[in-house]
Amino acid sequence: MMFYPMCRRFQFSFQLPGVYQVFESVARKYDVMNDMMSLGIHRVWKDLLLLKMHPFPGTQLLDVAGGTGDIAFRFLNYVQAQHQRKQKRQLRAQQNLSWEEIAKKYQNQEDSLGGSRVMVCDINKEMLKMGKQKACARGYKAGLAWVLGDAEELPFDDDKFDVYTIAFGIRNVTHIDRALQEAHRVLKPGGRFLCLEFSQVNNPLVSRLYDVYSFQVIPVLGEVIAGDWKSYQYLVESIRQFPPQEEFKEMIEDAGFQKVTYENLTSGIVAIHSGFKL
Amino acid sequence: MLSGACGRLASALRGTLAPPSAVARRCLHASGSLSSAEKSERTRKPPQAFDPALLEFLVCPLSKKPLRYEASTNELINEELGIAYPVIDGIPNMIPQAARMTHQNKKQEETERH
Repeated sequence: MMFYPMCRRFQFSFQLPGVYQVFESVARKYDVMNDMMSLGIHRVWKDLLLLKMHPFPGTQLLDVAGGTGDIAFRFLNYVQAQHQRKQKRQLRAQQNLSWEEIAKKYQNQEDSLGGSRVMVCDINKEMLKMGKQKACARGYKAGLAWVLGDAEELPFDDDKFDVYTIAFGIRNVTHIDRALQEAHRVLKPGGRFLCLEFSQVNNPLVSRLYDVYSFQVIPVLGEVIAGDWKSYQYLVESIRQFPPQEEFKEMIEDAGFQKVTYENLTSGIVAIHSGFKL
Repeated sequence: MLSGACGRLASALRGTLAPPSAVARRCLHASGSLSSAEKSERTRKPPQAFDPALLEFLVCPLSKKPLRYEASTNELINEELGIAYPVIDGIPNMIPQAARMTHQNKKQEETERH
């Protein structure tokens, strides 16, 4: 069982049985709470992550701690849209297509994703179940796979994926350096590591408003909507104890990634860190 | 009433991007005439099936060696270490603590017999 990680900054106000139980209890209301707490802005953050990734058809993505599938679904939509745009361009040109290709298009035999694939890996069964239900409900079938696994010990072989993403998940990992090393291992040479995570606010006014909102509003919302004050207080405190942008950048570099950069979103409430395995 | 029908049409048209079975499911739901057993069959099948194509990617998290899929017990087996990872609802559980020992049980039985 995963036990609670040692805090670096300050002691948490109470003892929680473990990160696993937190997500087990919030899984059902996870998406609703995300919308409420971030006032829907988390959708924009995730869209920006996809824009930064800019995947092309044929990309193999590993989404770790991807639980309910937000990043995976966005990825599938993105590559499908890219593929369709490419097909439209080809049809309009109508110069380079062979008869076989045109016949295939009419028969709809071509893979609508162009060979792209996403693996969603999460340590929590409830989150994955939620994600799978969402996928069935929205009609996502091809190119999607769900695996129950530990980010510190990934059940994947070396040099397998083009992109590794972890959105709002790495702060819940007990040993972040091990997770980063595993990320480096499973990426192909030339592969990209992308991490979307809460970070340190750089604007003092925003910082004060953010603190008030985090400690006064979010646990109340958690109690009212999900009936779970403690889990959401854990969430807020875990955000505060996660290392700031520069320190996290150094941790990523220590794992072997190069060209590590970060981009602040919403005055640093959230940051996207990116690194390459070269 | 009209707006409801329009809404269903719109969603059906939008649903052409989704695979036909999803649209068919929605139409079935709307007509309500076809048997629910058929519908439940279609929704029951996907969750339990394990896609063997995953075997290309999956390895044992401990030894990083490839695995063998055992259809009878619905498990992924690592022969070397003698452990089996269960597949629950089509999702392989690759957490080492959840894995089951296979060889060690057999060895214990043999030593007991001797």
